[in-house]
Amino acid sequence: MKISLNWLKEYINLDGISSDEIVQKLTMSGLEVEDVIDQNKLFGKFVVGFVENKEKHPDADRLSVCKVSDSNESFQVICGAANVEIGQKVVFAPIGTVIPKGNFEIKKAKIRGVESYGMICAEDELGLSEDHSGIIVLDAELKEGTPITKVPGFNDVIMEIAITPNRPDALSHIGVARDLAALFNNKLKIPKVSFKESNVDIKALASIEIEDEINCPRYSSRVVTEVKIKESPDWLKQRIKSIGLRPINNIVDITNYVMHECGQPLHAFDLDRLTGKKIIIKSTKTKKNFTTLDSKERELEPGTLMICDAEKDVAIAGVMGGENSEIYEDTKNVLIESAYFNPSSIRRTSKHMQLGTDASYRFERGTDPNNTMYAAERTAQLLKEIAGGKIAHGSIDVYPKKIKERMLKLRFARISKVLGFDVSKKDIIRILKKLGFQIEKTSENDLKIKVPTFRPDIEGEVDLIEEIARIFGYDNIPTIPKISIPLGIIHDETSFTDGLKEYANSLGLFEMINNPLQPESLAMLTGSAIKVSNPQSMDMAYLRTSLLSGALSVVSRNLNKGEKNLKLFEIGNVFNLYEGKTTVNSFDDYVEEEKLIFVLTGKKTEREWYSEEKDYDFFDLKGIVNTFIEKISLDNVSNDSYYSKDNSIYEYYFSKIIKDRVIGLGGKVKSSVLTQFDIDQDVFGFELNLGKLKEITVPEKSYRELLKYPKVIRDFAFVFDKVTNFEEVKNLIQKKGSKLLKDVKVFDIFESRDLGEGKISMAFQLEYFNEERTLTEEEVEKDFSNLIKIISKEFNAKLRG
Amino acid sequence: MLTNKIEQVKQNFTTDISTVKNSSELEKIRIKYLGRNGIISELFDRLNEADKKDKPLLGKNLNLLRNGITSQLNEAKSSFIKEEKSEGKDLDLTLPGRTYHIGSRHILTQTLDEIKSIFKSMGFSVHEGPELESDYNNFEALNFTEDHPARDMQDTFFISEDFLLRTHTSPVQIRLMNKMQPPVRAIMPGRVYRNEAVSARSYCMFHQVEGLYVDTDVTFAELKGTLVSFAHQFYGEDFDYRFRPSFFPFTEPSAEMDITCFICKGSGCKICKHSGWLEVLGCGMVDPNVFGYVHYDSEKYTGYAFGMGIERIAMLKYGITDIRIFFENDFRFLKQF
Repeated sequence: MKISLNWLKEYINLDGISSDEIVQKLTMSGLEVEDVIDQNKLFGKFVVGFVENKEKHPDADRLSVCKVSDSNESFQVICGAANVEIGQKVVFAPIGTVIPKGNFEIKKAKIRGVESYGMICAEDELGLSEDHSGIIVLDAELKEGTPITKVPGFNDVIMEIAITPNRPDALSHIGVARDLAALFNNKLKIPKVSFKESNVDIKALASIEIEDEINCPRYSSRVVTEVKIKESPDWLKQRIKSIGLRPINNIVDITNYVMHECGQPLHAFDLDRLTGKKIIIKSTKTKKNFTTLDSKERELEPGTLMICDAEKDVAIAGVMGGENSEIYEDTKNVLIESAYFNPSSIRRTSKHMQLGTDASYRFERGTDPNNTMYAAERTAQLLKEIAGGKIAHGSIDVYPKKIKERMLKLRFARISKVLGFDVSKKDIIRILKKLGFQIEKTSENDLKIKVPTFRPDIEGEVDLIEEIARIFGYDNIPTIPKISIPLGIIHDETSFTDGLKEYANSLGLFEMINNPLQPESLAMLTGSAIKVSNPQSMDMAYLRTSLLSGALSVVSRNLNKGEKNLKLFEIGNVFNLYEGKTTVNSFDDYVEEEKLIFVLTGKKTEREWYSEEKDYDFFDLKGIVNTFIEKISLDNVSNDSYYSKDNSIYEYYFSKIIKDRVIGLGGKVKSSVLTQFDIDQDVFGFELNLGKLKEITVPEKSYRELLKYPKVIRDFAFVFDKVTNFEEVKNLIQKKGSKLLKDVKVFDIFESRDLGEGKISMAFQLEYFNEERTLTEEEVEKDFSNLIKIISKEFNAKLRG
Repeated sequence: MLTNKIEQVKQNFTTDISTVKNSSELEKIRIKYLGRNGIISELFDRLNEADKKDKPLLGKNLNLLRNGITSQLNEAKSSFIKEEKSEGKDLDLTLPGRTYHIGSRHILTQTLDEIKSIFKSMGFSVHEGPELESDYNNFEALNFTEDHPARDMQDTFFISEDFLLRTHTSPVQIRLMNKMQPPVRAIMPGRVYRNEAVSARSYCMFHQVEGLYVDTDVTFAELKGTLVSFAHQFYGEDFDYRFRPSFFPFTEPSAEMDITCFICKGSGCKICKHSGWLEVLGCGMVDPNVFGYVHYDSEKYTGYAFGMGIERIAMLKYGITDIRIFFENDFRFLKQF
């Protein structure tokens, strides 16, 4: 919201206080000033110029060659504006001036062969408005050479203030001035309203009736007759322009002015266009259409609060007036609407229609129900002064149930308990009074306080404490150097995944973080995806059902950038609807689970002086997965299943199973899936369900006595039929071997013509030991030869030499 | 027969090894005797043809021969390597070392880890909550009343009428307080979503760390002290700070903490929008209304809460100007950290 410092000064004396200090204080009390335009600095070099002469440019139809005087000197200036005339006082930018629009410096220039020594400015060039229709023509009384910052309208400080949603009271100049009064301990001056009324009684001219008292608790009105619609006087136009609005006509400008002065939105109806001279406030019962004053036809939901006359809708309450009752150039009699609407009602309408206006913005935050009459009368006063109207005798004020000020108790001890710091009773009372609170009763331990109705945000004691703290200054509350903390157990729910990340790093994997929002095609690939009801785009309309699709997108993007060898992991949540569910209406409709994915693609080793190129393969993936499982001590409780036939994602894959539950699955991604991602090299992926993993209790680690006796290692190799797989043989060896056999590993596998068609050689290393004693040659030999017999028989295998 | 042969081989080897001049010649001798089709292997093959009664002794002698040859070869080999090394002949020490890779955590994880460890050292636990949340936990219980414009502060992705993608990590506060009684002292990191147009400065999701401390004597002054201590540990000691009043529905009083812009040291630059200050976190005292929702006695307990965005912090700290790069996962980016 834009606030003009010059305008503020109508309500508070800020003499001797620099604009920097004002900006600083406002920011530090909660009205954050996001941007400041100080015209005194910005326009420092501009002066009032006098157009002494004007001739047509010899070579350009639309340009004039002017002589502009600053009283000392006369400058030749080329001007392109159509409205420049001899005798005008203009805003002149001599050489060396920086023009705010475009931030460029005026230099001596040749325009179509004629020299120019400065510039005559339009409003847009100064950043005053968007207007570039012609140059600014100043008051003829001004003396040429006068610095422009001495001219009203060119010496303001415009502040852009970010008003938080809890502060509707600050959405006006008086509101901001009230905070300044508290900050600088100054007096707030609210303009007194007084005027002479005409003989005509308002009751003879109009009547008002509220049907929906819940959504319209108060409707106040004044009627002004015989107004003349015309351009606003300069001072009013300046005010309107200073806050970034466009002057329209005196009536519209006055209602805007009063709203920005005191925060009450106003609407002016052409009384003669109101059928029956009647206003009825009621909510719609059915869907219907309505044309607003911007000439747009809009659909109204049932329950929309409307302003109606005897036979038709004339405005959407608190949002926008209708085309059928707006002020036009021949309007003579005006009914001023100054109402208080239920904030929720206005917000629902504004949200539903996606129509936000300066009025709805204020109403939905909460205006002051007890200031409507003041605003109506202030408007009436200005209509009389500026538009030459006559104010009808009396007012109409429909206010069936007065909204009373809230009463709150403020305990001094509570202030200390919350802030950790004592504010003096004197300061407390002073701050609250300056902010418009009334102290009803002062006791030793507390205050009884009446909260003004312009502060709907002050609902409880703690809100008063904040008021005191923010005006007193957060920086004046000490930053204590020492704290005490409860000596409980410190839990860390992230420590498990932190550990996993560490293991992944030590295995050379890099962590990625992907956006869980995906297009439908990706999300549906691996599960039953949940849809976002208001997505930004169809590319981000669904939640991921696995980490794989995101990972494959990353692989694809990297391949495009020439990064072809990737070893990645991600830990993140995935979302799946339960079977039979189509959307989420309770926490029982879906599952959100934490998963971990490993992805390998490209070359494991590149061509080096010591090695050949080698691509990642299934066994790299399996090795990484198993190292993990071992590191988290689940290797003894998990087993694997292998699938050599493809499923919808993988060409071949394996799964980790713990207690009959699949906790992870992965393998070589099918090329038909990779094609969807434009990936033309093998990708291996494995996803672990961390949610399920966390549920498994891992036995606490305990020390095992180190082996004191030597191990005995024996090797043998067999020629098998190729259908025999490693695990079958290994399982048999472990089953049939003695208790002394502690480990079996395969160390050589090959096929060759010598072995014969359909044959494979596997060589095993067997490790024997006993924790209690040294083994004898005989007992090992006995077991070893027994195993040779069994394997030979069971697999029809042949022991190799 | 075989006994003689063994003796002959032994003598031949003694002659051969005495004439060897370098390690490559030595390797030739090794292959000649110990190779797969070498002399020793041939002798073992012939063992099968020998008389059954002679076999044990021959076998033993053959083993002795093999062991003797092996150890002499090894001895010779190590002496050659020593000599050759000192002469600098065969081993090019200037070749690059073999490559090994350590992976890395994403820079956002690293930033979060740093924040976590500071708060853990100050006695905070670490808790998590789901990303798909109920409207109740995300808004209502945090004192965002229905139809209040405060809801516009956080553009929301809705899943259904009552469910949404959490817009902040604050609902974890509600979950935690519903689960346990004070004292509660915890930080809550996690991913959050905002329905904002994707640009260099904003993304549709990002990460936050939430903090909460509820106990009998928690004050605003303590909140300031704690956060200033955090900021000094995290950003360094050389900066000024300020607490600005702000508004969050679930805290009262509410504040935002600014620190001196560490890009321009406070003189004003593009990053700090020429204010000299960088906003680094939001905080405040837990609103008694929130305690009402979780059935804590707000007369007895007070509490503070704070929250900060990880991406913003990482962008400031590492000079990253486009938030989208965090989620592209370009391998060249991942490898930088």
